[in-house]
Amino acid sequence: MTLDWSIVWEYREDLLHGVLLTIALTVITMIVAIPGGIILAMMRLSRSRILSTISLCFVELFRNLPLILVVYWAFYVMPIVLGIQIAAFETGLIALCLNVSAYNGETFRAGINSIREGQVNAGLALGMSRWQVMREIVIPQATRRVLPVLASTWVSLFKDTSLVSVIAVGELAHVALQIRSQTFRVMEMLTAMAVIYWLLGYPQAKLVDWIHSKFKVAE
Amino acid sequence: MTMIAPKESGSTPSPVLIYEKVRKLYGEFVALDEVSLRVDAGEVVCLIGPSGSGKSTLLRCTNALEPISGGTIYFDGRALPSVDRDIRKVRQRMGMVFQNFELFPHKSALDNVAIGPMTVLGMPKTQARERARALLAKVNLADKVDSFPSNLSGGQQQRVAIARALAMEPEVMLFDEPTSALDPETIGEVLNVMKALAEEGMTMIVVTHEMAFARRVADRVAVFEHGTILEHGSPEQIFENPETARTRDFLSHLGWDG
Repeated sequence: MTLDWSIVWEYREDLLHGVLLTIALTVITMIVAIPGGIILAMMRLSRSRILSTISLCFVELFRNLPLILVVYWAFYVMPIVLGIQIAAFETGLIALCLNVSAYNGETFRAGINSIREGQVNAGLALGMSRWQVMREIVIPQATRRVLPVLASTWVSLFKDTSLVSVIAVGELAHVALQIRSQTFRVMEMLTAMAVIYWLLGYPQAKLVDWIHSKFKVAE
Repeated sequence: MTMIAPKESGSTPSPVLIYEKVRKLYGEFVALDEVSLRVDAGEVVCLIGPSGSGKSTLLRCTNALEPISGGTIYFDGRALPSVDRDIRKVRQRMGMVFQNFELFPHKSALDNVAIGPMTVLGMPKTQARERARALLAKVNLADKVDSFPSNLSGGQQQRVAIARALAMEPEVMLFDEPTSALDPETIGEVLNVMKALAEEGMTMIVVTHEMAFARRVADRVAVFEHGTILEHGSPEQIFENPETARTRDFLSHLGWDG
């Protein structure tokens, strides 16, 4: 078997485009899923039973379904249920946001719960409203505590974006697999894909390690 | 409708706080059993008594961190409100100092003190920080303005916490065992700040196990047990000539020999 590595160079522009979409999916998902997670956590912890239940159901649904199923569901079912056509990229984005928001919701909930009640009382005693206590005292501290977990979620998300390739979103995995099926250069393309994911993922993982060590003991 | 405190005849000093048959229940447990007490402007009242006797509960009820189950607490002539917004207004006029300091670990000493006026009173940042700087100087921490709580000793943290409460320019200060979590060598610096505050005429309610402080600084001492006030009176009276055997017992357990 002869290997032809030039195929990778030949398709560099397509691959680069795939990489950019992978990064875009990761970044946009996190930009949506961090406030999403905070909202879910606050709903869950709110005194309203309805909000709390909605949040609980949302989180437990999307946290316990395989992401690939959510992706398919968003692609086939959502347009029928909602009666609108959505492009593949946005569909993939929605699926990722649902999944990661659910995870972040749990992360933030744990983070908020880890802040001592005394901190809340100290804010209330100054005359702050519950919302001001949340904004000024609880959320900044909780964010610091959950940063390592969010960082780990980020790295998982970066790799999980490959799952939206199943609905033909032109991110790195989809592009690479397309090239493979057009050129039959299976070995080369799968290796190239692995190398690219690894080269992009490794620095992120290292960054996560650094964040873990830096923020681990926050008090 | 606002309930107006009953007038007490023949008293010149104005009451800041009046507790009238205050009850507090936690389920079946009676934390406060019809506690009545009056605190006048400029007075320092020390609450002493064994752990779990209701002293701290009374403080937490005073600024409505805990709702009371019965009776009435009058602040400045009005019964404590029950609506959230009104409770906040009352809390702004009471400073509270906690046993575990409860400084905000993500903020510098300066910002810990400035945050109250900034978020609650809407004071501009520069002005709030100016006030904070002055208050930190007042508690002898002018050189620690930029330090974070984790880099301060317990005594220093508690002094920042006092400055934080003072930043709201409260009419009464509530101290909940302010020195109980401190190393012995830093207790003095906190008590000195509190003493200076008392001498300035601040109205203070102090839950404490520091009998020497209560003896020297308090105008009145109330002895708690099982959610009731066993007796209250001047420090001389309580420490030199307690009425009840229980008070004598309690004081002797603390090594107080009169």
